[in-house]
Amino acid sequence: MTFRTCSYEVELTQALKDGHWPQGCGTELRAHVDGCGSCRDLVLVTQAFQGARRESEQLTPASSPSLLWWRAQARRRNAATERVSRPITIAQTFALFVYVLVAVVFAASQYNHGLHWASWWSELAPRAVHFLPDISGKVDLNSFLLISGLGVVALLSGLVVYLASENS
Amino acid sequence: MRKTDTTGEYAISNLEARVASRTDELPMDSDAFAGFYQRSAPALRAYLVRVSGNAALADDLLQESYLRFLSASRPEGGEVNYRRYLYRIATNLLRDYWRKPRAACIEDVPERLLMARDGLSGIESRATLNPALAQMRPRERQLLWLAHAEGYSHREISEITGLNAAGIRLLLFRARRKIARLLREQTEAVRGNA
Repeated sequence: MTFRTCSYEVELTQALKDGHWPQGCGTELRAHVDGCGSCRDLVLVTQAFQGARRESEQLTPASSPSLLWWRAQARRRNAATERVSRPITIAQTFALFVYVLVAVVFAASQYNHGLHWASWWSELAPRAVHFLPDISGKVDLNSFLLISGLGVVALLSGLVVYLASENS
Repeated sequence: MRKTDTTGEYAISNLEARVASRTDELPMDSDAFAGFYQRSAPALRAYLVRVSGNAALADDLLQESYLRFLSASRPEGGEVNYRRYLYRIATNLLRDYWRKPRAACIEDVPERLLMARDGLSGIESRATLNPALAQMRPRERQLLWLAHAEGYSHREISEITGLNAAGIRLLLFRARRKIARLLREQTEAVRGNA
């Protein structure tokens, strides 16, 4: 198939687009179209499509513009909410990271100190049963660190779980 | 031919670039949108129906096109550019639909659907144009509709479809010859039946 453009194509296209064909066109152009296959195709196809478009303009789409408007607003609101909550999500992720880091450092430091608290723990249980107030005077620094560390981790765990559930 | 990068995504056109910087405002108020919708929706739906060959799909894509249009900011230049932007959104939605694994690619959508369920009326159209369109590829239908029904120039079609303007010229030339031959055959068939 050869690709050959006609020199009248632009003029004819404009005339068809403006609705000037054929009455509003000169005799020269009309005579040319009679003898030019490419231009005849152009007229035939353009008139067929313009007719189809005119038909389609008489049909009203089912969806209501006001419904579309409110749906678009709801979508924009959701997108805005998501945009606003993005920094909070980042902060939550950062908090989780810090929490895990603190927990790991704490566990590593306790391990490096030889896990003294483990032996203290085995002694603590029977004493606690008999007389709890005595404990406060006998715990060493490791024990104190352990208890406070566990408390902080427990608190942070609750916080992280709460933030994660709120985010989801 | 297609203006794409290696990932297959369309390059951002000038039109999109103009709106990309302003995405925080609704393009128009509710009443203005209703008027614009009444004026533009029938033609856009006809485009979607004729190209996709599926009235239900066309209705879905029509709604999504307007939702995306409203969610973005309006391009400069008034209603003419709004319409072109809408056609671009609709064309991208069609392309995305065809890219999904469940559907065939744009070149292989079953054309018989076009004849069966176009949802449009019109004796002349049904008799000649619809059967002829049914034998065209969706890409050809897309280009023909934009060029001859909507009257868009090659450059405007390039903006809407993301295809190269020089390639559009050749594709349109071939598609026009093909559908002109089919239209003549259909006309003769209709006259023969009458």
